[in-house]
Amino acid sequence: MIPGNRDTRDGILFSLPFMIVFALFMVYPLVFGFYISFFKWNILGTPSFLGIQNYVDIMHDEKFWSSLWHTVQFVLMTTPVLIVMGFLMALLATSHSPLKGVMETVFFIPYILSMTVAATLWAWIMQKDFGIINQVIRLMGGEGVSWLTSEKNAMWSISIATYWWTAGFNMVLYTAGIKQISKEVFESATVDGANALQRIIHITIPLVKPTTILCLILQVIASFNVFGQVYVMTGGGPAGSTRVLIQYIYETGFSYFRMGYSAAMSYILFVIIMAISVIQYITLGRRDS
Amino acid sequence: MKRKLMAIIALIAVGTLLFASAPQEASTGEGPVELKFWSLFTGGDGAFFDAMIEEFNASQDEIHMTNDMVKFDDYYTKLTTALAAGNAPDVIVLHQARLINYVPSGVLLPLDEYVSDEMLSDFQTAPLEACRMDGKLYAIPFDVHPIVMYTNTSLLEEAGIDKIPETAEEFTAAAKAVKEATGQWGSLIDNTTGTYKAYTLTRLFVSLVNQQGGSMLTEDMSAAAFNNEYGYNALVWLQSLVNEEAVNPNELDYDAAMNMFKLGEGAFYFNGVWATGTLEQTEGLEFAASPLPAFMGESAAWTDSHTFAIPVQKNQDPAKVEAAIKFIDWMTGNAHLWAKAGNIPTRNSVLEGEEFNALPYRADYAAAVSSVVANPPTAAWGEIYETLSDLLEAAVTKNLDPQTSLDGMEATVNEIISRY
Repeated sequence: MIPGNRDTRDGILFSLPFMIVFALFMVYPLVFGFYISFFKWNILGTPSFLGIQNYVDIMHDEKFWSSLWHTVQFVLMTTPVLIVMGFLMALLATSHSPLKGVMETVFFIPYILSMTVAATLWAWIMQKDFGIINQVIRLMGGEGVSWLTSEKNAMWSISIATYWWTAGFNMVLYTAGIKQISKEVFESATVDGANALQRIIHITIPLVKPTTILCLILQVIASFNVFGQVYVMTGGGPAGSTRVLIQYIYETGFSYFRMGYSAAMSYILFVIIMAISVIQYITLGRRDS
Repeated sequence: MKRKLMAIIALIAVGTLLFASAPQEASTGEGPVELKFWSLFTGGDGAFFDAMIEEFNASQDEIHMTNDMVKFDDYYTKLTTALAAGNAPDVIVLHQARLINYVPSGVLLPLDEYVSDEMLSDFQTAPLEACRMDGKLYAIPFDVHPIVMYTNTSLLEEAGIDKIPETAEEFTAAAKAVKEATGQWGSLIDNTTGTYKAYTLTRLFVSLVNQQGGSMLTEDMSAAAFNNEYGYNALVWLQSLVNEEAVNPNELDYDAAMNMFKLGEGAFYFNGVWATGTLEQTEGLEFAASPLPAFMGESAAWTDSHTFAIPVQKNQDPAKVEAAIKFIDWMTGNAHLWAKAGNIPTRNSVLEGEEFNALPYRADYAAAVSSVVANPPTAAWGEIYETLSDLLEAAVTKNLDPQTSLDGMEATVNEIISRY
């Protein structure tokens, strides 16, 4: 131990700047949000106590359930595809192809864009009357598709934009996972006559399982929290058919100023995400340990 | 050691407090009074508004106004949080329909003692009275902006129609005639969420219910009042234009409707008067604007109004309040400039003035202001309005059974009211 050095004191001092910000902007809002979820409050006035009335009302709120269902739809539409895409991209980026560097960059670039940029881009690409996709379709003699204005297509269109935008992140995780597998395993399999597909199925996939679990948990959480793409691309439409839960929380809180109700819904979403993550972690992680 | 640590923590805590409460800028005796303003004019009217601010600043040297434009979608969120934190700008713009969400919380300054009777007597009674609550004046009306009907005159001529339709039946017939004769759409009523919800449907629905003598909510605003023949007639007609008659495109959003009308792809278009200025700037478009026809009996048109208000500040500076009133006086007194965008001024001196009357259409639809429908003064109206837009969108674009839709709309509205 260096003379004059006190680990506890210095430790506290060095972490203090972070702890203050953390307490002020994370812990305090978290606690306050839970507290206010038992009140009726419009930000400007004095909160009035409701007990668990907000939570009871939510159970009977059709819009809450439909928004939750739209969120679940989005999770189901995006999670598997994004995991598979990320994995395939990582295979290409770790392959022996001379283009692997270029591919890695190309796959990752969309993820650098901010949500607003990516979503606005796709909203224009998919615009019904002047969007480039429909222009191309019309040039080839087809009829334009209502990508964002029809209930059938809207959620898929948002999902497609999301694939393009975020798959690169999963690729980075998988690339790291694949690079950790020692070369000897692949070499001995090759010597034993295993072809590329067999190596992927019997070596790569089982050995990147921890990465898959991580990706799955992160992806489900991210997809449950979807809001920006929807808000920018469809505004929750047509007729509220893509309104996701975070959007409903945002609307009740910041458009209608029913903060208590909005906070209560946030806590329900929090519990749902937490439960799903714990279940995933236990069921998927168990066989490893 | 422990004491030292406590001292450091205390210091940091005090430091953060200092950051949290930056000293308020005080106006000094020298130079012009600096005022801050937040506006929500981002559409076609934004350019006209900015030009007015510039002209105001150039017209005198006592006051300098800085305008921050906030995206319309975020405006009320940003404003409300700023009001809650007590650091709102010196002057703000509010929709009259929103006053009810702010006045009861005491965040707006009552203006009675600051405004001269002489100035007030120049205002139209109805829009001014709409800014009064419990006998106190909380805002000054800048404009009135009802929904009106725009007509592509070249398309009507091509279809051989020489008279603007006055009833729902005449409208449908004219729209069909246009479609048959020209191949373009008869009407362009947006019905699908895009950048905005399908507000035009709600605005027309509100207008049509009132035209038949009905109203959206009961008189005490405790329940929905449109689930009857009035609401039924209105909804069925809006649905028929898209479905049975097929004279209005389906899945049409606000921006697309505006663009198609500009491109001459439809004969009739409905929007607030704020679209007039933008349409006038469109080359090659020959159109006319008229008050919303009395499609279903009496004249009645949905409307709202932009108003100026002064937020209550922690340390209210009387000099700034005085300057803000001067600004409001100038803006409302020169509202013929704002009328270029299409909006209807609120002061008699402007309405009777030469500049305003030299502008096309405005005088016509300004006369119809007497029959506008005020928004129900309840805090729940904002959510009701937004929600009805979603439900009407579903009913019209999917051609749902009108009675079932009305039942659903009524139940939803009553549920919303119960939560406020």
